[in-house]
Order: sequence, then C-alpha cells, then structure tokens
Amino acid sequence: MTRPTGRSGPTRRAVLKGGAAMAGAAAFPAPFVHAQDPVTLRYLSTAVNQSPAIAEKASEELGINIEYIAVNTDEVARRVITQPNSFDLVDTEYFALPNLVPSGNMKGMDAKRIDRIGDLASVIASGTVEGEAVGWDGTAPHEVLYLGDQTATSFAGEPTDWITLIPTTYNADTLGIRPDLIDKDITSWASLLDPDFAGKSAILNIPSIGIMDAAMALEARGDISYGDKGNMTREEIDFTIEKLIEAKRDGQFRAFWSNFQESVNLMASGEVVIQSMWSPAVTAVRTQGIPCIYQPLDEGYRAWASGFGLPRTIDGRKEDAAYEFINWFLSGWAGAHLSKQGYYPAVLETAKEYMEPYEWAYWYEGEAAEEDIYAPDGRLLEEAGAVRDGGSYAERMGSVACWNAVMDENEYMVRKWNEFIAA
Amino acid sequence: MSDTADTIAETRGNRVSARARRASRREGHGAAPYLQAAPMALVFLVFFLLPLAATIVVSFWQYTQYSIEPAFTAQNYGEVFGGCLARLPDLCTTFETYLSTLKFGVIVWACTLTLGFTVAYFLAFHVRSLKVQVIFFLLCTIPFWTSIVIRMISWIPLLGRNGLVNQALISMGVTDTPLEWLLYSDFAVVLALTHLYTLFMVVPIFNSLMRIDRSLIEAARDAGASDLQTLTAVIIPLARPGILIGSIFVLTVVLGDFLTIGIMGGQQIASVGKIIQTQMQFLQFPLAAANAVILLVAVLAGVWALLKLVDIRKEL
Amino acid sequence: MRETRPRSFYVLASVFALFLLFLYGPMMAILVLSFQGPEGGLVFPMNGVSFHWFEKLREGGGQVEIGPALRRSFRLALLVMVLTVTFSVLAGLAFRRGFRGATLLLYVAIASLIVPSIVVSLGIALEFRLIDDAIKSLGMAWGIEWIQRDFVSALGPFTSGLGAHLTWTLPFGLLIMFAVFNRFDPAYEEAARDLGATPWQTFRHVTLPMIAPFLIGVAVFGFTLSWDELARSSQVMGADNTLPMQLAAKTTTVTDPEIYALGTATTASSILLVLVAFTIATLLQRRRQRG
Repeated sequence: MTRPTGRSGPTRRAVLKGGAAMAGAAAFPAPFVHAQDPVTLRYLSTAVNQSPAIAEKASEELGINIEYIAVNTDEVARRVITQPNSFDLVDTEYFALPNLVPSGNMKGMDAKRIDRIGDLASVIASGTVEGEAVGWDGTAPHEVLYLGDQTATSFAGEPTDWITLIPTTYNADTLGIRPDLIDKDITSWASLLDPDFAGKSAILNIPSIGIMDAAMALEARGDISYGDKGNMTREEIDFTIEKLIEAKRDGQFRAFWSNFQESVNLMASGEVVIQSMWSPAVTAVRTQGIPCIYQPLDEGYRAWASGFGLPRTIDGRKEDAAYEFINWFLSGWAGAHLSKQGYYPAVLETAKEYMEPYEWAYWYEGEAAEEDIYAPDGRLLEEAGAVRDGGSYAERMGSVACWNAVMDENEYMVRKWNEFIAA
Repeated sequence: MSDTADTIAETRGNRVSARARRASRREGHGAAPYLQAAPMALVFLVFFLLPLAATIVVSFWQYTQYSIEPAFTAQNYGEVFGGCLARLPDLCTTFETYLSTLKFGVIVWACTLTLGFTVAYFLAFHVRSLKVQVIFFLLCTIPFWTSIVIRMISWIPLLGRNGLVNQALISMGVTDTPLEWLLYSDFAVVLALTHLYTLFMVVPIFNSLMRIDRSLIEAARDAGASDLQTLTAVIIPLARPGILIGSIFVLTVVLGDFLTIGIMGGQQIASVGKIIQTQMQFLQFPLAAANAVILLVAVLAGVWALLKLVDIRKEL
Repeated sequence: MRETRPRSFYVLASVFALFLLFLYGPMMAILVLSFQGPEGGLVFPMNGVSFHWFEKLREGGGQVEIGPALRRSFRLALLVMVLTVTFSVLAGLAFRRGFRGATLLLYVAIASLIVPSIVVSLGIALEFRLIDDAIKSLGMAWGIEWIQRDFVSALGPFTSGLGAHLTWTLPFGLLIMFAVFNRFDPAYEEAARDLGATPWQTFRHVTLPMIAPFLIGVAVFGFTLSWDELARSSQVMGADNTLPMQLAAKTTTVTDPEIYALGTATTASSILLVLVAFTIATLLQRRRQRG
C-alpha cells in the first residue's frame, strides 16, 4: 500500500514533527504510518478569531494543522448551506443558527466529548451573569444552544447532550462616539437618532441587526415599547421601518457599516461621530491616536456570540481532531489570547490562568491597568492607569439588553428593509 | 458628403460580394465553426447555463423561514411584485428599485460613453504608434491591478470630509466647509462606476475606430466636410458597433451591481443587485433567484432591442 | 511629432491626461496612506510617516496571510487570460463564418454578464456539490480507494474557480472580438487561400498577425477581470481564497495600512515593468533596424 499523494500535502513542519514522533515506530507496517499523518482541519470563519498564533500553538501542542479559510460574515452562512464539505470546523454567530440548523448541514456536537462543557460561561449556557438573568431579546445563545439529537433540524427547549455551537468569543456592542467631535453627554441609544448628529451617525448594515440598533434608539426615545426587539411583530417592524425612513429622509445616517474595518474607518475619518460598535473596533480607532469611547448606555448592550460548529459531513479522524482542537481551545491559552484583544472567551477560569494578574484585572475586573496593556501582536493598546470602557465583565455582560438576531418575521423584515433602502 | 457615403456603400458592396463568394466556397468546411465555437459554448454550458437552470428551478421553490422546499410555486415572483398594482400610481419597492438602478445605468452609460469615446478617439487618431497606444492602455489599466477591496476603502480618504479632495478644495479657497456630497451620495456612486467602467467603453470603441479606413476620413475632408461633420457623418456611424458593444458592457454590469452602489451609496441607495444580495445574506435563495431571473429577462430584453438597432455581427 | 499637431490634439491630450488623473485618484490616497506611521490607520489623518507597512508587507504573515492568495490569484489570472484570448479568437472566427446557434451563444454570453455574480457563484457551488456526491458514490460503487479515502471536493480555484472566472471574462473577450473583426477585410485571407494556403496557414500567417495587436486588449481584460474578481469567486474556490477574497476577509478584523502598501507596491512595480519592457522592446527594434 503506497501513501496517497493528496492535494493538501503535510507541511514541512508537520512532517518533521511527525517524523520525530515516529522515530521509534519505523518498524511498523505502512498503514500505521498513514494513520499517524497529522490531521488538517479547515477552519471556516471571519478573520476575527483566525489568529496565526492560535494555529501555530495548536499545531505545536496537538500536532493538528489548522488551515484557515477566512471569509466575510455572509459568506460563512452561505458556505454552510451550499458546501458543508468545504470545511471541517466552522466558527459562526449564534444568530445565524435559525437559518443554518434547518438545512441539516450542521452536526450536533456531543457534549460528553467536551471536557469543559460544565464550565461554559453562564451568559451563554443559561443567559445569566452571576445568577441574574440578562436581557434575552433576540436570538439569545442559550435558546439555540441545544439540539434534540445529533441530526435534529430544530432546537431543543431544554439542555441536552447535543450542542449546536461551542462558544469561541462573544461581547457586547454599544454606541461608539468621538468625544472630540461631540460636546454633549451621551447616555442613551436615543442619541443615534439625535438631529444634532444628522449626517454623522451610522448603524450596522446587516438588516436584522441594524433594525435592532434602530429599535434600541426608538424605545429609548419613548416612541414605542417592543415585546422583543430581536423578534418583532409585523406591526413593530412597520413602525420601526417607518421611523427609519423618516430618519433617512432627514439625512440622519452617513453610511451603514458592513464589517469591522469599515466601522473603524468611518469613525477614525470623522465621517461618523456616533454609531453602534464592537469593543475591539473602538480600541482599534484609539490605537490610531484618535479619541474614541465605547459608551455604556442606560438601556444596556446589544450582545453577540460566535462558536464552533461541525459540518454534517465530518467523521473519523477529522472529527476526533475537531473535538481535540475544541477542547484545547477551551483550555485557556486561546481564551487568554482572545481576551487580550478585547473579546470574551467561553471558559473564563482557564483563560485567567494564562493571563497576568494585571491583565486580568484590566480586562475582566474593571480595574485601572497597573502596567501598559499590549495586544498579543505587540501593539500598545492602553497605557498604565487606563480603565476599560464599560467596566468589568459582570458590568458589561450583566447589562446586556438584547442579542443579535434573526426574527421569525425575517422575510417580512427583509422586504421592509428593502423598502427602507429604496425610500 | 454624398461622396463619402458612396465610398462606404461601394466598399460594403465589394465586401458583400466577397462574402458571398467566400460562403459558397467554404461549404466543405461545415464543421469548422462548430469546433471553433465549442470551447466557449462548453464553458458557458457547464459554468453558466446549468447553474442558471438550477437557479431558475429554485426560483419556483417554496421558501419558508426555516426551509427551502421543492415545489412549483409562482409565489416568489408574486412576492417581488407584491402590492405593485394596488399601490399605483405610487411605485412599489420593486419598481422604485428598478427605476433607481436604471437611473444609474443611464447616467453612467452617458458618462462612460462620452469619456470613453473621447479617450478612444485620442488613442486611435492622435497617438500614432502602436507601442505608445499599448503603453497608454496599460497605464489606464494599472490602477485596476490594485484589488477592488483596497480601492473601495480608499474612496473615504479621497472623497471624505477630511479627504484629499476636500483638503485641496479648502486650501484653494473654493469652499470653507468640507463638501459632504462627495461621498455616500448619488454623485459618489456615479463617479465610482464611471471610474470602474470607462475602460469597458474605451476598448471596443478603440478597436472599432482602428478599423476605420483612414482614406474614408481623408475623402470626407477632401469633400469639404468640417471636423464635426466628419465625426458625425463618418466616424461615429462607422464606430457604431464598438459603441454598442461598450454600451452592452456598461449597462449589463451596472444594472447588476451591488458592491459599488452599496459602498459608495453608504448602503442607503437601492439597486436590484443589492436586493438580491440582501436576500442572499439571509439565505432566501428562492426569492433571490426570482429577482435574478426578472433582472435577467428585463436587461436581456433591453439588449435585444439595442441589437435590433445595430447588429454588431453584420459586418464581421 | 515632426508635423505640427492640430489644436484638437492638445484638447484631447488634456482630456486624456485628466482621465488618467481620475483613474489614479484613489491611488493617490493609497500612495500617501501607505506611508502611515506604525500607529496609523486606513484613513486620514496621518499618524507619522514611515516605511513600516512596506516592511510588514515584505515580512508577510499577519492575521490573514496575503502571499499565498496573491500567488494563487496571479496564476489563475494568467490562465484565465490565455484561455480567454484563445476561446474568444476561436469563437470570433466561428461567428465570422456563421453557424447555427450563433445568436443563442451571443445571448448566453450577454446573459452571463447580467446575472448577478453572487447568484452565478451560488449556482456553480450547488452544481459542484452534486458533482462531489456523484464522484463519491462512483468511488463507492467501483471501489476506487483514493476517492473513498482522500476525495473531498472538486471545488477549487483551477476547477470551479476557473470556470466561474471564464463566464465573466469570455463575454468581454467575445464582444471585443466582434469589434476587432468588424469590417475586417477578407480579401487578404482570400488571397492567401488563392495562393494555396491551408486554413491553418491562412490563420497563422495572415489573420493572426493582423489581429494580434488588438488581442492585447482582450488579454489585459482577461487578466484584470480575473485578478480583480470578487463576487463570482465567493462560493467557488473551495478552501483556497483568491487575493480579493482574502483582502475582503481581512476587513472583518483589524486591518492595517499594509494593504495600501500592497497597492502602492503593485502599482509602482507594474508601471516600472511596463516602462522597462517597452524600453527593451524599443532598443531591440532599433538594433534590428540598424543591422
């Protein structure tokens, strides 16, 4: 039996490593050699979590090659639907699940094979922080975390052994502002629609989330009170779109942002002075020497979470490797790596072990930084003495009001959104 | 002028008879054109027609929030035109969107045609060496070798409030406050599309102009035609195929655009492509497919009408 | 330049110069910002001036790696270019002679420009999923071992990706050939045939030399359209991103002016390459003329 010459040949590093591991096993017959080839996992997601350092570390510690497939948010979902055989591991947002799971292209993950399943952050597992329930409007992760069985195409009402996504990162979005270009206190989402900022505000271009930005603002302004901002009724959608059209006619919005970098560019260039933003995006503006604040608001945050899922087509050694990689991912090093970029990891305790106490205090406890805070790639993020915007983990995640969502009336919402764009 | 026309007619007459001779002589090689067209036909069959057929089938499928099911339903098409009749004389979203897209199509077509024809004319008639023509053409192309992703980002530092253009205008004293409409406006969309697609006009028109027998132009001049008369009576008619081909390029591409209109319009300007993109974003494939089919039929009908005006294959 | 130019020359030359300025407009912003300081971002204001991003570009690596995607895109664009020219010339010849289905092929080509690229891309991806399934079940049925063990997908830049790009470049190639062959005088070809040349000889020694200069346009279009393609590529490249896809993915996280450095480097080296190539061509030509 000869060794196949597959398309994706093992990398030199892997061969060297494999060679070392098998130095004593040379006497075994060829099939055994084949079985020891390092596994390559094709990891599909946006670039956010695809740190080369994580792949390198995983290869070092597990002997698993991680091959990143970086695409944009829309593309992740489409590939899950059209070509589940083009990846082995997908990192996607929970709010996409109502669209993905019914396709039958995802495979429920066996909770019994996830070592730290019991340690998942409570905000994801049960929608609580320190025992208190957070806002569950929208697609709250705990509502779509479980499947009835491995191949189910709908969600289970209560915890089961079959998991849709194991969390990778999550965070809470709020309004980012340019304090140098705004001379009033911003305390509410309503400021997004403040006529003082006409032509200088922005919302997210993913309609189902952009409409939630607007809903936060409208509710804060007292125009309406929603049953569930992330799952509006047709009447609520009609009302919201009507108000959005009004705002558009008044020239309220400069542009809608579609990706991380766009939100940074809009803010850094001064095109926009107030918009919904990710916490790391605010940091990215600030590292350019431009003042920018991640502004906690009375109404709370709009949160999001993403996680690892498996495609229906995975099996055998690849599947084993995927579980091994996920278990490693939750074991701390990766969590610390992501924490130091401003994201929150699935398991807090393990990430803490891999962070310096002053780093933990800054990122999680809401305390002033005792030393300069550096990103994993060596960029200076904050100087000593800085306090993280939004405060501690509990303050941030505890004040979540709603989650990124896809609504039951999604199709209607998209139609109305197109009406808004055409208006 | 009639001399010129006669000359053209005569030249054409000669060609027609030559063509007839050629055709009669070549009956023996009947298979050759089929073999020559085969590679292109095959590519379109495998990578366009079959996927398109699948798309058309899907456009008749049933779409619910949680699944896409095979069925034969015209519901998706009904959805596209939902309320369009009831709302008249107000326009429904679909009509409004098509109108907006068409508006950009026509404006961009006029801009690229004017600019493209001028540039092609300069390259064909005033630049006399082939080598310089090629250099100029390549110089025009090089900006497009920087990826569109990078170029799209760079419009902000060029046209934005603190962009190069506004800085220049302010320092020249043309304006005190930055011009807001340079970016995220109809103007920005037209500008960016013209930037992208003028070359699509230049190349076919240039080729057409190069095919014009220079003696025809001299004959026109000798007959006392002014430059303008030569242009309108000789050059433009003879360049018609190139103009039409360029127009097909620009119109088809602009009418299906979503990326440029999206980014330059601050995602607040409607286009058919953008509707399709939004539906694809939420995996509403049947609806997106129905929209794509309607767009295809509408634009193809337009092109068909154009080709009735000028048959680009007549003088091959 | 010996004879005096008419006034229209100067007017048109200035229009052309302005057109070039317009084309290079976004490049100006890219050029300036590629010299951002190490802390600078993708937009003004400048935050210092440095070569930092060029160094980073040279080093490679980083969050989303550009190098492999760049090389892959380049190879793909070259292949697309060659095939576009070949297929377009062949089809152009076929259209001159006329064949049944010519009108259909023309409208199919135009349709391929109209249908939004994201839809075409999705269609091809679905088609290849069926092909993958078919290959796998064949592998099972016939007991072909490597298919069972190693076959993953037929999707890839040089299978489905190549096809997708061709559906984008060929319509341009074909229609430009129409302009090239427009009022193309058949007398030369007939003369060659009358002198006893075979169809191939006629093409090789008469037709081709006459159309060759105009094929540069088709070739450059083929290359550029493939190199810069984003939407049609999105679903069909399997696990291997092209350069625009990789850059688009990069924007989903922190993106530095490194991409501007890439733009500046691409533009500068392209201009340099063009100038050097033509200087050499000119020198060779002169030498040949002299002796």
